[in-house]
Order: sequence, then C-alpha cells, then structure tokens
Amino acid sequence: MAGVPPAFYGGRAAWQPTVIKANLLYWGFHGKVRQVRKAPSMATDKINPFKLAQSHFDTAAERLNLSDESRQFLREPMREYQFAIPVHTGDGTVKVYRGFRVQHNDARGPCKGGIRFHPMETIDQVRAQAMSMSWKCAVVEIPLGGAMGGVPCDPHTLSGRMQEELCRGWVRQMISNIGPVRDIPEPEIMTNPQHMVWMLDEYETLTNGRYPGFITGKPVSVGGSLGRREATGFGLVYMLREALRRKELRPQGTTMSIQGFGNVAQSVIKLYTQIGGKVTCVSCWNQTDQKPYSFRKDDGLDLEQLLLITNEFGEIDKEKAEGVSCEVLPGDAWMQQEVDILVPAALEHQIGAENVGSISPKVKIIAEGADAPITTDADVTLNEKGILIIPDFIANSGGVICSYFEQVQSNMNYYWSRDEVFGKLDVKMTSAFINVYELARKRQISMREAAHFFGVAKVAEACRIRGWI
Amino acid sequence: MTEKHIKISSEQLPAFDRKFFDHHEIATCIGSGFIGGKASGLVVMRDTLAEHFPTGTFDSMTANIPRFTVIATDVFDRFMQQNQLYDVAMSDASDDVIAHAFQKAELPAEMVGDLMALSQAIHTPLAVRSSSLLEDAMYEPFAGVYETKMIPNNQASKESRFQVLVEAIKFVYASVFFKGARQYMKALGKSQTEEKMAVIIQEVIGRRFDDRFYPHLSGVARSYNFYPMGRAGAEDGVVELALGLGKTIVDGGLAWSYSPSFPRLMPVVGSMGELLKTTQTSFWAVNMGEPPEYNPIAETEYLTGAGLKQAESDGVLKNLASTYRPQDDRLVTGIGPDGPRVMTFAPILADNVLPLNDLVKTLLRRCEAVAGSEVEIEFAVTLDTSADLTAHLGFLQMRPMVVSKEQVTVTEEEFSDDRVLAASDKALGNGITSDIEDIVYVMPDSFEAKHTRTIARELGIINQQLIEAGRKYLLIGYGRWGSSDPWLGIPVIWSHISGSAAIIEATLPTMNVDLSQGSHFFHNLTSFKICYIMVKHTAAPAIDWQWLENQKEESRAQFVRHVHLENPLTIKVDGRTGRGVILK
Repeated sequence: MAGVPPAFYGGRAAWQPTVIKANLLYWGFHGKVRQVRKAPSMATDKINPFKLAQSHFDTAAERLNLSDESRQFLREPMREYQFAIPVHTGDGTVKVYRGFRVQHNDARGPCKGGIRFHPMETIDQVRAQAMSMSWKCAVVEIPLGGAMGGVPCDPHTLSGRMQEELCRGWVRQMISNIGPVRDIPEPEIMTNPQHMVWMLDEYETLTNGRYPGFITGKPVSVGGSLGRREATGFGLVYMLREALRRKELRPQGTTMSIQGFGNVAQSVIKLYTQIGGKVTCVSCWNQTDQKPYSFRKDDGLDLEQLLLITNEFGEIDKEKAEGVSCEVLPGDAWMQQEVDILVPAALEHQIGAENVGSISPKVKIIAEGADAPITTDADVTLNEKGILIIPDFIANSGGVICSYFEQVQSNMNYYWSRDEVFGKLDVKMTSAFINVYELARKRQISMREAAHFFGVAKVAEACRIRGWI
Repeated sequence: MTEKHIKISSEQLPAFDRKFFDHHEIATCIGSGFIGGKASGLVVMRDTLAEHFPTGTFDSMTANIPRFTVIATDVFDRFMQQNQLYDVAMSDASDDVIAHAFQKAELPAEMVGDLMALSQAIHTPLAVRSSSLLEDAMYEPFAGVYETKMIPNNQASKESRFQVLVEAIKFVYASVFFKGARQYMKALGKSQTEEKMAVIIQEVIGRRFDDRFYPHLSGVARSYNFYPMGRAGAEDGVVELALGLGKTIVDGGLAWSYSPSFPRLMPVVGSMGELLKTTQTSFWAVNMGEPPEYNPIAETEYLTGAGLKQAESDGVLKNLASTYRPQDDRLVTGIGPDGPRVMTFAPILADNVLPLNDLVKTLLRRCEAVAGSEVEIEFAVTLDTSADLTAHLGFLQMRPMVVSKEQVTVTEEEFSDDRVLAASDKALGNGITSDIEDIVYVMPDSFEAKHTRTIARELGIINQQLIEAGRKYLLIGYGRWGSSDPWLGIPVIWSHISGSAAIIEATLPTMNVDLSQGSHFFHNLTSFKICYIMVKHTAAPAIDWQWLENQKEESRAQFVRHVHLENPLTIKVDGRTGRGVILK
C-alpha cells in the first residue's frame, strides 16, 4: 500500500464547526469531511502537480487535434491573483499570510472552485486544481468554469478569531474579482461551512446586499442546499448503478469493499445497500494504534450498526466491531476482498504498482470516491485486467454538481426539496457517465482518458464559439 | 394457467429505461421487491396479447398495454421507514393530515433520478395508480380502495412535471392509510402494516381536445354477471361503456351496460324519458388547461368534468352516440339530426362500425384462460376518424373475480313465508347467511333525496362502529347505492358500507329510480360474497317496515336507525335464478 499517512479517512458530519483540540481538526470540503491529526499529504513531493496536469491536458489536446493557440490558451490559467493577508494574532502581533486565487477558464460560465487552507499549498497545486475544475465542470455539463484558491496555513494552529480574519481578509483582497457571476468559492481541504459563512458575510458587507449565491458549502440555515452532505456518495452510487448495467449486473447480489468511513463512504454504503448491494468490508483509521484496520462481515455490514460503534472522528471501535461479528483485518485487506466492486474513498495513491496485484480477479468495477486514489502505473494494470474504473473526475463529481445546485438555488433564493436535488443529481451523474462511457467505448480508451477528452473538448469549444481562440 | 395467484417480482421486469417511450419494453420496473396485483395482471396480459395478437391488430382495431413502469414495493418500505411515517399513518389522524405528512416526506434517493428523467422525457398525461401487494397475495379486489391520480404532465418545465409526479406518488402511498382503506382491511382481518404498495406510472390513453384529454370511450367488462338481463345468461358477462375516462364507471356514474352476447339489446326501461335520465350526460377528462387550485391530496386535482355538448364540439360523439327525436319519441343512431344526444354507443354496438364487442369478448376469453377464473377487465379506446375508421384499445387492468358456486335454491313458496322480511327476484350474489343480528336502515318516513349526503355520513359512522365491534349487518336504503348523483341515491363510497353482509337497494315513491343493480360496488360485493337484493316499493311481498320498527334500537341518527335482533336473520340468494329472500 502506497504509504498510508497518519492523516487518514473521514469523519461523519458535513457541517461541523472548526474544532481545535490538541492536534485534531475537522474540516469539510465538497461534502467530504476528513479528520486529521496533521495536515494530509498532498502528493506534491516528487512531481509538480501543475506540470502533471499540463501533461494530461497535452495528451487530450493531441487526441482532439487542438490548434496551437488553443493549447497555449488552455494550458495556462486565464488569471492568477496572489496577495497578502495580514491577520492579528491576538497577542499584539500581526502575521501575514499569502493568498491565492487562480481562475483557469471561465468560457463556460462563472468560475467555481474551492479554497484550501493547507500548509503545503503552493501556487502550482492551486493552478493544477483550477485546471482540473475546468474539465470537471465541463464533463458533468454544468455551466461553470474552473478556479481554485487557498492560503498556505495550518488552520488548526490558528484561533477561531484568526481564522475568521483570514477568511474576511481573503474576500477583501479578491472582492473585485469574485462574486455570484464571476467566481464562486466553496470549501476544500481544511475549510468548512463556517469559513464559508464568514466569507459570505464579508462579501455581503462590502457589497451592501444579500448574495447567498456568492459562495457554496453553506449550512442549510443560511442558504445551503439540502442533500449536499450525501451528494458525493450518492452521486458515486448513481454512476456505479450505470456501470453495473453495462456489465449486465443487477445491484442485488453484488458485493463491495470500501476504503474509508467518512462522509462519502457512509453515503456510498447507505445508497448502495438501499439498491440491493452488500458491503462486506470497510476500512478506517485507528488513532490509538496509529494504523488503519479493515472490518469484514461476509453477510454484509450494517451501516446503522457500524455508526453506533464509530466515534466522532469516524473511527470504528475495533473491540466493539468484533462484538458485532466483524472480522478485524489489516488496513490494506479492504482491497484484497473477493468482491465485485472496490471503492477507494479515502486518500490519493492508495492503489499503486506495488499492491495492485493483490486485487481479486473477481473485482469488476472500481469507483474512485477519493481524488487520484490509483497511481498511473496501477491504472494501466487495472485497465489491462478489464476492470472498469469510474475515474474520480466523474465518480466524485456529485459534490461539485450539488454545489452548482446550491448556487442556482441561492441565486434564486428559492430552495428545492431533497427529492428534486437528488432527482437532478441522478440525471446529471447518469448523463455524464453515459457520455464518458460511450466515448471510451467508441474510441477504445479508458474512461479516465475519455473524461479528460470530453472535458477539454467542451471547454475548447466554448472558447472557440466566444471567438477567443 | 389454473393458478389464480399471480405474484411477480421486480426481477422479472427489465429496469426502467430513461428513454421510456423510445424503449421497446412495455413494462419496466423501478426499485426492487414485488410489483403488486394490478401490475402483475398487466404483465401477464402483456404476454398474452403478444401471444394471441402478435401483430397487435384485430380487424380495424389495434390493442396493446399502454407503456408503464412500476415502482416496486421495496421503495414503499424505504419511503415509510426513512421518513418514519408509520406513526402518523397508523394514528387516528384524518385522511388529509396523513396525506400532508406523506407530501412532506422524501422519496428514496435511488429512484428520484428515474422520475426526473421520466418527467424530462414525457409531456403527455400519466396515470399514477396503486398496485397493492395484498391485492395480489390475497386474491382480493381492492378496486376503489386505494387512490389513482391522473396528472396532465404538460407543464412547461420538467421540474414542475417532476413535482406533480412526486406528489401523485406520495398521494397513492398515503391512500393505503386513508380511513376507507383501513376499514376495508379491517373487514378482511388484515392490518395496514402488512400492506405494501407498488405504484404504476402509465401513459393515459386518449386524445387532447382543447384543454381536455380523454379517450373516446372507457369500458369495464366482466366475464360473469350475476344479474343477467333478458336473454343473456350469467356466463355471457356484462360490459359497461362510458365516454371519457373510466372514472365514470368506477365511481358508479351513469354508463351504458350491455351483455357482450347481445350488444344490440337495449336496457329495459319504462320510457324514452327514463332512458334519457339513465344514460351518461357528463364525462371525466384530464385537465390540460389552466392549473387548478393546488391540492395534491385530492384525487380529482387534475381532472375536469364536461358535458356532451363539449364532447360533440370536440368531434368525438359521431361514432358513439344516438340522437333522441322527440317528434316520434325514438332514438336515431348517430348525431345526424338535431336533438338530445344519448350515449348508447349504438354506432359501434348496433351498427358494428368497429369490432369493439368482438375484441372485448376475445379479451375476456383470453383473460379467463390466463386467470383460471372469471375476470373483470378495464380498457380505454381512442378512435381515428381521419380516413377509414380505426381504433386503438388500451388494455388497462385485469382482475380475477370471486364467483361463489354454492348451490342455493330459493323457492316460490319461501316468498310467501310469514318470516319474510324482504324478498326479490332481482338479487345479486349467491349463498346462504344465517348469522346476521344487526340491521342498519334508512328510515323511510324521514327520507328525502336532498339529505342523501348526510345519510351517507351517518352510515359511515355506524359502519365503522360495527366493524370495530366485529358485527356484520344488513343494510337497507333507497335509490342507487353509491350513486355519484345524490338525487339518484345515497352517494356512499365503499368504506361507508364495507362492513355489511347483505344490502337491500329499495325504491320509495319519493325515490323511484332505476336501481344500480350493484354495479357501483359489483366487484366488492361478489368478492365479499355480499348479497345484494333489489326491492321495488311496489313489489310483493314488500319490506316488513313494521317489524323493523319494533326491533330493539341500538342507535339512531337523524336519518338512520340501527337495530339489534334477538335471533339472527337467514339470507338466501340463488345466483342462478337471481331470487333472494331474507327471513326474520
């Protein structure tokens, strides 16, 4: 297993105030909530993420036979902002933080992207994510462009007051270049709904109005969308259901093993079980032992029962699990299970060249709940084995789609029922799956390549129609 | 097939395809579990029609099952559980409170996408119909017990169509727990918690005329008729036809009833005036016009009533109606001359401009063979008059009928027995009952047609009390039981009288109309083996009112009296002769 860091897996609640307790912090992003003991790895050690994103773009551009001007235009962000944010520490001193916002492309609509508070944050990381958002919004056909922002900082070392000042300072610096029709931020790694509310409040104070559509990821009580908490996990299951159809399988009778027991994983388990599937194995972090464990029950895990023995940080109690007839196995056992479906929904790079061989030949589908859980090498091997991989690009896009729904509702100041939110989410997810799957099938490429191809093509087309390139 | 019990699970149907109308499958399924009795009947008939009408044609008519998808029973279970609805559903809350609680609840996330896709793809009216599991498992009729909702599905935005569709589904779910349904279940000795509901979403057969969408005619046909008229026998069956949606027939409105063996045979009426009074003058259609008042808990929210004038201006009467000529007091087939239009369906039944009757007879035979018993079917027909007259029949439902074969003989001598409370040679049902100790009757002296709605309410209250006490009773009232027109009889719905074991439908000098002959509740009557006896006030022997008056009164409302007897009644009905007698 590709180095499970101490920072691992998710907590339960989508809406949690920032908790500063010893070295623990909750944060939420896109409906995903993670519990960490220290800032998680962002896989930036070896490879420049922006260079990697550009190389993926180059591959797609080559397939699309894009013009040189288009390539030149799209492989760099349209706009970048870097600025200083002074924050009063409370002891009479001031600390200055560096803020970023990168707007990669807004040809298809206002920019959309998260804001990270992370000590390892770099401008290249932000650029890569902004570019990725452009393709992601395009592939799921929501009329938004791609952006990303952040502040290199470790918020669990900051008081609540400092975090608020940081949020408000970020908005003050960006006030001329963001807004409901220009660029709409949302929570990302280590930012949460409370941060979004502070940012919204600052924006509304400066613009002298109420603009709930300025930001998404808000609590429902101040203009958030119903269903956002479940959106990423449910969205993944909608796609999984379509993948099963292509494999001529009914969900009933299929089995799943899942890595992670955070918000996304829990929602996946809930809906997958509802449609008749059986989750036989789940893995999660154990803080006491400082390592993950897998929990297996061959006749199917009961989500409600698991939640009863799970603490507020999303850790399943090892001893109590045995008491409810779960086998407790090593952390990487989740991927060795004889199941039909694997869902890595924890961290990046969990399936690599060194452990891909341990995956059972019975596995037919892998749905990526986390971002980049499969390395490039492993991806090639899995494709050769004929395993259908639903790439993170679309598999975990339920969060961004629901973010878009939230923005639409907030702009209208009219809010939908949960039925309507999930109904629309399902249609969007299914449509995206079919588009990508059919493209992959016709061109004999992987769904990951097809998703990239589709996204880049849509953005390039919008730029062309506007007469930009 | 001799096995009457048809139970089909969702796995036997293909999953719902989001292309719906473009897809080749007639029947699909959303969710897992079972699909209920009504949907099972449709699936069986889909296969039967494919076998016997491979081309889908029958002379100048075509026939098929309108495309539908079923939301299977597991979805109902999840809906109930995830919203914790059993508390309110099983409480004493009124129907509208229950319905509102269901409207506020959320459908399971795994199926709303299919509904959204369906709303996106379809802009024509849909019928959202119940398909109950107990109906299937118990081989019992639940006709009219659970609600059906027709929706126009023509709103401009898919979100609005989705919203209305979702509301209709929740309404059908809620109807499982409405008072009428609960009483019905209690009469069956079942609990509501045992019930699981599948829901059918089906295209509505019809055409749009201005703001109305309706079929040219709807029909209910039964292969067995305990009340045959004239030369027809019980095995000849009976067909009822009505202009517009079938709600007219199901609700017991005025419809044209005939024997499929003798389609030209007119009903026996005293005069042309009487015929005019007893034929259909209004019909139901789906309202495609201005949105009605928002009322998601009303079955008729998107329905509209219209008269024959509108139908004539829509151009649909030509092949359906006759015209009354007052100058010579006779009917003329068609609508050539001026005069009142009369819904006799004579062009089709008498002049045979369409082979509808032959097709219905064939369908009845096929259904009987499939069900292994007598059956009731429902259908709707649209006509195409653009070139040669052609028509399309949409097959909507098949229900097995429970027909008692018990041999009972009621002799002439028994009519003159001193113990006779009431006797008639126009009785419906078959069998002997000798354990009835309660009689509920509308007091003849205070009866007036203008009070029939109040009477219906009073009957409903006593009915509930007797159901709760576990006591069956004899019911006596005047005019057409279950008439939607309160001036023609007491407008009860089945839940008002569901605890009765025998029913007398009588006339009075002040309510001297053609009796319903049990047509409004036919299926329920036969399934519960309820005797239905029609007694004219001029008949001999007449109802022994004096004896009734002397019986021990248990309760009395403004118009209704309930008496308890020391000795049980004996009720005998000979289904072969239609003769019935009630002995004190």
